Amino acid sequence: MSRKPKQIAIYGKGGIGKSTTTSNISAALVEAGYKVMQFGCDPKADSTTTLRGGEYIPSVLDLLAEKRRVDAREAVFKGFGGIYCVEAGGPAPGVGCAGRGIITAVELLKQQRIFEDLDLDYVIYDVLGDVVCGGFAVPVREGIAEHVFTVSSADFMAIYAANNLFRGIEKFSSSGGALLGGIIANSINTDFQRDIIEDFAKRTSTPIVQYVPRSLTVTQAELSGKTTIEAAPQSEQADVYRALARHIAEHETSKVPTPLSQVELREWSASWAEHIVRMERADRERARAVA
Amino acid sequence: MNVVSQISTDTSSSFAAQPGPIEQVRYACALGALTSVIAVEGAIPITHCGPGCASKQFHALSGISGYQGGEFHVPSTNIGNKEVIFGGADRLDELITSTLKVMEAELYVVQSGCIPGLVGDDVENLVKGYQRRGVPIVFAETLGYRGTNFTGHETVVKAIIEQYVAKQPAVPKRTGLVNVWALLPYQNPFWRGDLTEIRRILEGIGLEVNILFGPASEGLSEWRAIPSAAVNLVLGPWLGLSIARDLEAAYDQTTLHIPALPVGARATAAFLRKVGDHAGLDRRKVDAFIAREEKTYYHYLRDFAQFYAGCTSQYRLPSEVNIVADSAYALAVAKFLVGDLGLNPGVVVITENPPESERAAIRAAFRDLAPGIDADPLFESDGHKAHAAIRAHPRVGELPIVFGSTWETGIAGEIDAPLVEISYPVTDEVVLSRSYIGYRGALQLIERTYTTVVRQSTEENPEGTAL
Ligand SMILES: Nc1ncnc2c1ncn2[C@@H]1O[C@H](COP(=O)(O)OP(=O)(O)O)[C@@H](O)[C@H]1O
Ligand SMILES: [Mg+2]
Repeated sequence: MSRKPKQIAIYGKGGIGKSTTTSNISAALVEAGYKVMQFGCDPKADSTTTLRGGEYIPSVLDLLAEKRRVDAREAVFKGFGGIYCVEAGGPAPGVGCAGRGIITAVELLKQQRIFEDLDLDYVIYDVLGDVVCGGFAVPVREGIAEHVFTVSSADFMAIYAANNLFRGIEKFSSSGGALLGGIIANSINTDFQRDIIEDFAKRTSTPIVQYVPRSLTVTQAELSGKTTIEAAPQSEQADVYRALARHIAEHETSKVPTPLSQVELREWSASWAEHIVRMERADRERARAVA
Repeated sequence: MNVVSQISTDTSSSFAAQPGPIEQVRYACALGALTSVIAVEGAIPITHCGPGCASKQFHALSGISGYQGGEFHVPSTNIGNKEVIFGGADRLDELITSTLKVMEAELYVVQSGCIPGLVGDDVENLVKGYQRRGVPIVFAETLGYRGTNFTGHETVVKAIIEQYVAKQPAVPKRTGLVNVWALLPYQNPFWRGDLTEIRRILEGIGLEVNILFGPASEGLSEWRAIPSAAVNLVLGPWLGLSIARDLEAAYDQTTLHIPALPVGARATAAFLRKVGDHAGLDRRKVDAFIAREEKTYYHYLRDFAQFYAGCTSQYRLPSEVNIVADSAYALAVAKFLVGDLGLNPGVVVITENPPESERAAIRAAFRDLAPGIDADPLFESDGHKAHAAIRAHPRVGELPIVFGSTWETGIAGEIDAPLVEISYPVTDEVVLSRSYIGYRGALQLIERTYTTVVRQSTEENPEGTAL
């Protein structure tokens, strides 16, 4: 009898650390004995490289480009600790429709019952998170992921993407779509960054599930084609990812997000910008006073 | 009647779909303009669209429009999910190359439909590559959601003019040559016969004519001669106006816009004099032709008067004309039936969703159908609402007749009116060369109208019809 795996989607702006974070979560989950699939939903198709020693795998859409009928199993590759790695892939930049690509790839695996056949505990989608069109919203729509987490730094652009994602989730929430689990606050090293992301979380009544500091260990691991869990299992950073994985594994109830409106978001960021300017001025004056 | 047309040169930006659901729509999508390409002898469309788009548009416009038939040999990329994801330009490239190998044509017109528009295929650049290699090929962006087959027609025509005609060796001006922009091929079931009649009467007064579409046209040699013409004659309320404006600027031509297609001797004589004057023809020659035509025309009309005046009670001749048609035919028929045959205007519904900017001018053209008698046309693409308007119209002591499409059968029956099929879709008529325009067309329109009236009478009352 196959179980229904717990399906989780991780969204965030490009370059914010989704794949790094997701791969470490997957790695921590297999380490803890679960059966995991990581599904990259980004046309870059590099979600799972650190699970495969830095190697790229052919994507579902690469296969589809070659032939009309694809056996989805051909797109599943084993990575670190037996993690099943899949990349949706996408068209070359500037042509075609990446959103439709993601829809097709996700549908293909669903139709061919790959999740059930592999008897998985977790499927984690790593999704490019600007939710610019319907295609990128597919993992949060009915019947795919149940919980959504967003990776965000204290950067305004990352928060903007997160807020957009909240709006997307809110839209589908009434029709059985996924709900919001919380924010994974990445690359937060100063109190100030922490204040910003915390304030945003508070304003949108969203829990922050984990703070992940920016760390050289991550960079080094990535350079060796590995996750932090694999490359530096004893490191502090690895423990941070383990804690994050545990939170996600134990996470049960997500909720409908309460995003800020466009205007509220602008006002909110403007007030922080002023705050920054004031603080910098104070810093300069203090420096002058010392000199 | 000084309402100036404001159509913009970019037809697609002025298109707005009627909001809400719509029943019995009477036009096709912009891709349907592939019928305009088919109507040009020597040209073939190459369509870049999903499976079924091209053939459905063609059969919808040719089959259920008087069973016109026609040569449908249209290569299509038949794109699917794969081309949506990865882009379909490569597939189109392959199709064009193979088409050039197996299909001979003087001109290829690449038309893209909805999907390439949504996905953003760069068709223009692809086609330009072929153009640089000297292939007679043009690209028209006829995205289905960007317009109707009316606006698509203008897009296609402009593409041919800008990318093909303009690239031909320069041709000398011919003062007596006129480009005619009139009925929409296929959409209007009678376009072939009508364009033939328009050509005949214009040649009759001494002009040379680029009629451009259909069996009366010489095909692409006429298109290549477009720049030679002195005048663009836009015959109809709005379609073709923006084409004429473009040509005016590019080739130092003038535009003569006559909103009403002439039906009957009165309108046709006025029309020919106007065109003749505009083109600087000798008025005596024009009048001589008119006189010749009128001799025949009025001979028939004199004889018809016996029927028309003599048996009113017997056949309950209609007194009120109701029309459901696109603006070109609605106006032409209204003018003839009200102005010449003396009927009262009832409900006039204009179905082709003409650009907002043109509606005031179209409305104005319905004023003074006969001295002091106006019609107030209703712009409505929804068949259900058109019928509701006809049903709700108060009629006291009027005997209505309906000019419309086969879809008006029900409402005509409800108000006990005979139905003459003049507009799309037409499935109770087989139309070949029949025309309802000009001198000869008017006689046929009278024949058809009163045959229908007599038939309805005899069907309702099979016993009591003998004289
Ligand atoms: N916590 C972190 N500490 C150090 N580097 C990080 C951290 N998170 C992400 N990065 C680095 O940022 C870059 C982009 O991360 P990536 O996971 O590929 O982003 P995304 O998948 O969101 O596009 C990578 O080089 C990654 O190593
Ligand atoms: Mg990534």
